[in-house]
Amino acid sequence: MKKITKEALIYIIVAVTIWAIVAIVSPSKGVLVGKVAYNAFTKAIEIIIAVLIIIGLIQVWIPTQTLSKFLGKESGWKGLILASTIPLFIGGSAFVIFPLLKTILDKGASIAFVMAFITAWAGKAPLLPLETEFLGWKFALLRFSLIIPFAILIGLISRLLLEKPKSSNTGGKGTFNAEERR
Amino acid sequence: MDVGIIYLLVALILLIFSAVKDIKKTKEVLKVSGKMALTVFPVLFLIFILMGVTSVFVSKETIASWLGSGRGLLGILIGELVGTFALVQPAAVFPFAGVLLNKGASYSAIFGFVMTAILIGISTLPIEIKFFGKRFVIVRNFSTFILVFFLAMIVEVIMG
Repeated sequence: MKKITKEALIYIIVAVTIWAIVAIVSPSKGVLVGKVAYNAFTKAIEIIIAVLIIIGLIQVWIPTQTLSKFLGKESGWKGLILASTIPLFIGGSAFVIFPLLKTILDKGASIAFVMAFITAWAGKAPLLPLETEFLGWKFALLRFSLIIPFAILIGLISRLLLEKPKSSNTGGKGTFNAEERR
Repeated sequence: MDVGIIYLLVALILLIFSAVKDIKKTKEVLKVSGKMALTVFPVLFLIFILMGVTSVFVSKETIASWLGSGRGLLGILIGELVGTFALVQPAAVFPFAGVLLNKGASYSAIFGFVMTAILIGISTLPIEIKFFGKRFVIVRNFSTFILVFFLAMIVEVIMG
């Protein structure tokens, strides 16, 4: 908690300093900056509060831990596709997700799975209202629908580059088996 | 009615459902949300000020010439580079991208910026390396950068 308040303070101090410099150099421009900031704030505040509540609900009712562990048990194509879809809808910071994925990796999940998971996790479905407000629904929808194939592709690339091929590996149609690596 | 109000209403209804089902868990929800608010709001404050500074001091021509459609593929690349080095939280990425869009940036450059800002975090690099190793991190970040470039071209075709 202490760390959070300290960070918060730094952000606020930097912001106020920038604003103050602008206002001192040119008061009228300082007012303009304030106006733009205030407009953006009023445009976003309701959505941000809604988003925060929804992320809180997701995190408490569908804990990332259980979900990741469940996902980690799935292997093969099914695992890859799930890893490219489900994380879109979950929250959690990198500090929560990374250790969990590491555990799953050590337990035998494939690297492709972890890569796809991280990529899909960046889809940030809970933030969709915010994205729609500022960038339009068409863009938001397009970005959202591109994430899943993107995550699958990243998984496949990482499989090609990072997973050590076994002598028994089939050439063309590789089977996605997490057990293979052990 | 304002869309923001609708979202807020939906969130509140869900929260009430949660409270009816399990009051203890709902307190936990509020705790998580509150903690997140504490991290998100100061960052947003800074971003809103930066948005103000950008829209007052950076002309439409400048943004358009760097990130506009006229720049073509280079615009995407610049957007991606800005996103890679920007230390912003996802919640702040979208409002800032909105300013760039209003100033004449193309959708493809915006896409490059948003995706790399979320996926390639210079700030989370150390912990990613710690958990998954250098090779993993290099492969993930490079392939992300390259793939985003191609996806941005799709965005340009559809949105442009």
